Amino acid sequence: MSVTSTAVSLNEDQRDCYQELTNVAMGQAADRLARLLDVYVVLPIPKVNLIESSDLHMAIQDAETDSAMSAVCQGFIGSGIAGEALLLFNDTSFSDLAALMNYGGELDRYGELELLMDVSSLLIGACIQGIGEQLEIHFNQGHPVVLGQHCKVDDILKSGNHQWTKTLAIEIHYTIEHVNIDCDLLLLFTEDSVAKLNNKINYLLD
Amino acid sequence: MTDSNIEFGDIHWLMDILQNIDVGLVVLDRQYNIQLWNGFMESHSGLSPQKAKGENLFELFNEIPKDWFMKKAEPVYQLKTRTFTIWEQRPYLFRFKNYRPITGRASVMYQNTSIIPLESINRSVDHICVIIYDVTDIAVSREDVQSAHQTLNELNRTDQLTELSSRGYWLKDIEREFLRCQRSVLPSTLVMFDLDDFRTINGRYGHQAGDEVLRSVSEGIRQTLRQTDHVCRFGGEVFAALLVDTDEEEAVVFAERIRKMIERMEVRHDQQSIHATASLGIARYQKGFASAQDWLQAADKALYHAKESGRNKTTVYQPKAH
Repeated sequence: MSVTSTAVSLNEDQRDCYQELTNVAMGQAADRLARLLDVYVVLPIPKVNLIESSDLHMAIQDAETDSAMSAVCQGFIGSGIAGEALLLFNDTSFSDLAALMNYGGELDRYGELELLMDVSSLLIGACIQGIGEQLEIHFNQGHPVVLGQHCKVDDILKSGNHQWTKTLAIEIHYTIEHVNIDCDLLLLFTEDSVAKLNNKINYLLD
Repeated sequence: MTDSNIEFGDIHWLMDILQNIDVGLVVLDRQYNIQLWNGFMESHSGLSPQKAKGENLFELFNEIPKDWFMKKAEPVYQLKTRTFTIWEQRPYLFRFKNYRPITGRASVMYQNTSIIPLESINRSVDHICVIIYDVTDIAVSREDVQSAHQTLNELNRTDQLTELSSRGYWLKDIEREFLRCQRSVLPSTLVMFDLDDFRTINGRYGHQAGDEVLRSVSEGIRQTLRQTDHVCRFGGEVFAALLVDTDEEEAVVFAERIRKMIERMEVRHDQQSIHATASLGIARYQKGFASAQDWLQAADKALYHAKESGRNKTTVYQPKAH
């Protein structure tokens, strides 16, 4: 296998391995959420894909233009592997979220911010931690940023930091039984992290 | 997991680092009693570690809402995950003074916090660590940018000389009104008006005198307006008004009031007395207009007609005549 190649690639075994890794992490996360919130989280099969930067632009742009959509992103890094978790709330009702999180306050702009922060802390944290434990990587997490609400998505896209064309994305679609909560968690790794991740994965595959 | 073969002597300087690092570190036990209080916390709160240790967080700092904080902290104990708070949610956890008390513009220290689980030897989480970051500069500059944006928006919306709306802002408004008219039965009317022989005024009395006339006319217009009327300086000596929920007859009354106001007005500049008149064109919204542009053109045609037929008068657009 060529290690020098900078192009991101993924073979079938590796893809399965990422999927399994995420499944286990999700299982742990769901179990914890169930205990904390007393809800049943429907566990889907995570999608592992190499995505184009334009796909991501579109996803983020949707979050900006569609007022019914909110997004939170949070950077993580450990052992030279860096990435960002992006949580996109599609058609989520804030009042359902409030009920889920036992939030009693008013659902104004600040109330919604509180909910987004609390839910994303839980979902992103649980998942990154689960993956980190299996790979024996300690990930540090930066502070979350709520897109659209306190920063313009245009500004992020303009930053010119998107020099990658293709990268690894793990996509998890969360739904919670009986409530109107529907969100996607995207784990995006930087292009240069993928080779290191693949190395870690290859150990597991051997 | 991390290696923990740290020599005893090393602990000494590790403690030194914890003590001197410029972020706040607080360790809490399951009952939210303080177990560790580093130098940053001591300096900013004025409370020594000896005093803080063993005290309950919420009793010592009543600015921290217990329910709110526990919502962030309980998952850390129960799920062993980190949670975060940012200054946009709540400017600070601990009410500390700005680190730059003299030149800093905020009076308090804005804070982001991370709450991390601390595992004990049996792997259960009986303690959490709250890490406090000073983000005052970020918060202040974010607020600066926001207020600059707002100022820019307002500047864009008003004409500097007359303090009426700017043309761009007004045009957006009639685009909206045009769309509304397509669905509504209530009439709306545009009035365009132009000061007669303004070039002569500029030529005879100077541009400053011309500006003074524009300012006085604008002030007079402002006093004539109803709450829902929207007037802009369309360009040069041309003004335009959108009269919502107003038919032609009412618009004529409005236009005539303005025409007479200008006619009667005396502008004093450099001990000279300047008089001006205006011509006005009126166009009510018609179903036949394809765009707001058509509507504007109709008002412009009526204005042109008023000019052609002798000035200092009001003309109403007649769709059948064209």
